[in-house]
Amino acid sequence: MKMLRGLVLTLLALLVATAPPVVAPAVAQGSLAVQVPAEPPGLDLTASPASAIAAVVHYNVQECLVKVDKNGKLVPWLAERWYTTDSKNYTFFLKKGVRFHNGRELRAADVKFVLERAANPETKHPFQKRYEIIREIIVKDDYTVSITLKDVNANFLLEMARQGSVIYPREAVDTLKSAPMGTGPFTVADWVRGDRIVLTKNKDYHVKGLPHLDKVTFRFIPDPNSALAALKSGDIDVSAFGLGPENVVDLKKDPRFQVILGDTTNDVILAMNNSKKPYSDKRVRLAITHAINKEEVLKGAMFGLGRILGSNVDPLNPYFVDMSKAVPYDPARAKKLLAEAGYPNGFDAVLRVSPQYYYTVRTGEVLVSQLAKVGVKVKIEQIEWGQWLSQVWKEANYDLTIIGHAEPWDIVNYANPNYYFRWDNKDFQALYQESEQTVDDKKRREQFARLQKMMADEAPAVWLFMHPRLVVAKKGVTGIWKDLPISSLDLSEVAWQK
Amino acid sequence: MLATLLFVSLLVFVVVRVLPGDPAILMLGIDASPDTAARLRASMGLDRPLPVQYFEWIGGALRGNLGRSIQYDVPVAGLILSRLSVTIPLTLMAAALMAFAAVPLGVYAATRHRRWGDYLTMTLSQLGIAVPAFWAGLLLVLLFSVRLGWFASGGFDGWGQGVGAALKSLLLPAVALGLFQFAVLARTTRSAVLEVLREEYVKTARAKGVSERAVLFRHALRNAMIPILTVAGIQLGQLMAGSIILESVFYLPGLGRLALGAISARDLPVVQGVVLFVASVIVMVNAAVDVLYGLLDPRIRYE
Repeated sequence: MKMLRGLVLTLLALLVATAPPVVAPAVAQGSLAVQVPAEPPGLDLTASPASAIAAVVHYNVQECLVKVDKNGKLVPWLAERWYTTDSKNYTFFLKKGVRFHNGRELRAADVKFVLERAANPETKHPFQKRYEIIREIIVKDDYTVSITLKDVNANFLLEMARQGSVIYPREAVDTLKSAPMGTGPFTVADWVRGDRIVLTKNKDYHVKGLPHLDKVTFRFIPDPNSALAALKSGDIDVSAFGLGPENVVDLKKDPRFQVILGDTTNDVILAMNNSKKPYSDKRVRLAITHAINKEEVLKGAMFGLGRILGSNVDPLNPYFVDMSKAVPYDPARAKKLLAEAGYPNGFDAVLRVSPQYYYTVRTGEVLVSQLAKVGVKVKIEQIEWGQWLSQVWKEANYDLTIIGHAEPWDIVNYANPNYYFRWDNKDFQALYQESEQTVDDKKRREQFARLQKMMADEAPAVWLFMHPRLVVAKKGVTGIWKDLPISSLDLSEVAWQK
Repeated sequence: MLATLLFVSLLVFVVVRVLPGDPAILMLGIDASPDTAARLRASMGLDRPLPVQYFEWIGGALRGNLGRSIQYDVPVAGLILSRLSVTIPLTLMAAALMAFAAVPLGVYAATRHRRWGDYLTMTLSQLGIAVPAFWAGLLLVLLFSVRLGWFASGGFDGWGQGVGAALKSLLLPAVALGLFQFAVLARTTRSAVLEVLREEYVKTARAKGVSERAVLFRHALRNAMIPILTVAGIQLGQLMAGSIILESVFYLPGLGRLALGAISARDLPVVQGVVLFVASVIVMVNAAVDVLYGLLDPRIRYE
């Protein structure tokens, strides 16, 4: 009898566990709860390059003279127009009536202050080197500022749209870390460290009719399973970066949610230490590339989501050329190249990855079996992110590693022989230098095509796949960017469908 | 006691410094130039000799100043205090659930020795030991948040929302956190009580006609309390350590998550501060347990 009672209780418990899920609680139309995996380390974009800061602050709280829009295009923003004839002397005309969150109007002197501060090494701006190219900044009047560069620079306008170039009022420079002030559609209302950041609507925003939301709450939820539970129980409305492809496949079937899949600038690569034998031999690098079946990698590690790459230029770059077929999967050719290079039986290699990024280990596991087929015996060594940064990235103490390079236009790294790939190719460096100073779009496009071909031919790394944008939102949320041409989570146009 | 804490302080100071990983690079990311990183290191004071750094830190700590967080740029002491409003109630709730469920259940199992109540209790506690806390946490969320919608899946909106609501948001994590310790304590209690029940004086008490209830609570349990208390004291420290995992699963802004984030960001002052704080708490709990021994057993005296 007592046994029976226990059995009934167990059955009851099971029944509750498999009962249909409750309907998510209704949400106030004006507010949105967004999950992000990491808490920003401070909110100062001029002190740290962390993408977790950009996700909250860039374009939501602080804006730039120029903006990268949702299609990846450069559009006038705090500067309503600009003028240059030689890509060396720029004049920016500021939009009138733009107010900072403290009510003061944006003036040309603010632009001068912000850019000079960025270029000053004492400030410890994370991208200080990029502003060294500025020779002089002259305030013509309250709404006109001219900037003279030391040399022609084709990337300067893009630089003015990136997270390091946000414009803030001079008087708020000391509080950037905890309460950044700017001209954006939202202001920072509250930051409960370790838990959430709350943004509220800037009623005085310079773009009429925006933003639609009254309040945005960013919740820091590091664990994908917790993020999934929070989404399903209705505690958050949007998961921005936290979920993996396996969750997305599952959520696509759930009528309560919409899955937004798009392109990003995040190129996941198998980097090789080009300064170390046998990777200093181009034939070995090409052999490794031929030995990898990228379709299989994408299926195995990413459930088929994402796009196969063939160079370090991502599909959102205007000069993107599809190089994914340039060095095709061909294990026979890989074996032949290895034999030519003096490794007919392959060799041993260590793949150092950091599980901080979920895709690195999974991708590594697929690669281990593929490379074994041509005799390259790879051992995976998992290290913590801080160790990865110091051992692999800083000291180049590695054979192979897998990592996503999320910066747009990061092809520049291949022109730096000291970067952790340790790839020193003078022709590539010269051509890249030339492209930086080429203003003519047609000519520059042609140079970029050549750069991408050179990369595929020389194989300093294996470009595996573009990590897709995986956003899951409740049905009814509109205005989220499909693609992510820049590391920002612009919520200015996000709204609940009426 | 002070010697223990000084040793802990030296140990954590050395350990966080021999860990590979540079706080300046972790902060500036993979695009920073070496000069910028070096300047940032200097501004954090990390370029000075280690003994200078240590004595400055420990000197400050003795006056209640644990330095400034590298990540948040606020005083470490304030940061720890703000996180305690989550971790202390969470740990206490878990401890309360543990103690109030485990001790009676352990006693119950001991009195039903080798009967089905005993077996059921022991099976339950075996389950509690076998299930990892994070998994128990996820299961609780799936049942009570996703399926039934009774609780939020995580997060903590602060005590400003009202004591009831705040306690409610800590209940699931407290259950998950306390589950393992509950199981251990229930087993400890059962065997401690069983052992005492076999003693001669219990037989004598029964023979004198003392009621079974009085035998159990006045004679058996009081004498069984010494091992139970020892285990419970150790468990309180383990509960604090366990909160690191549970606070991540339930995304609670507590001390555990602060420590975890600080370790991955190499926020050295925060790591040092948290470890020193937790060590102090554990030392104090142990001291309190020692005092309780004296109260429970008059034969134990401290000179």
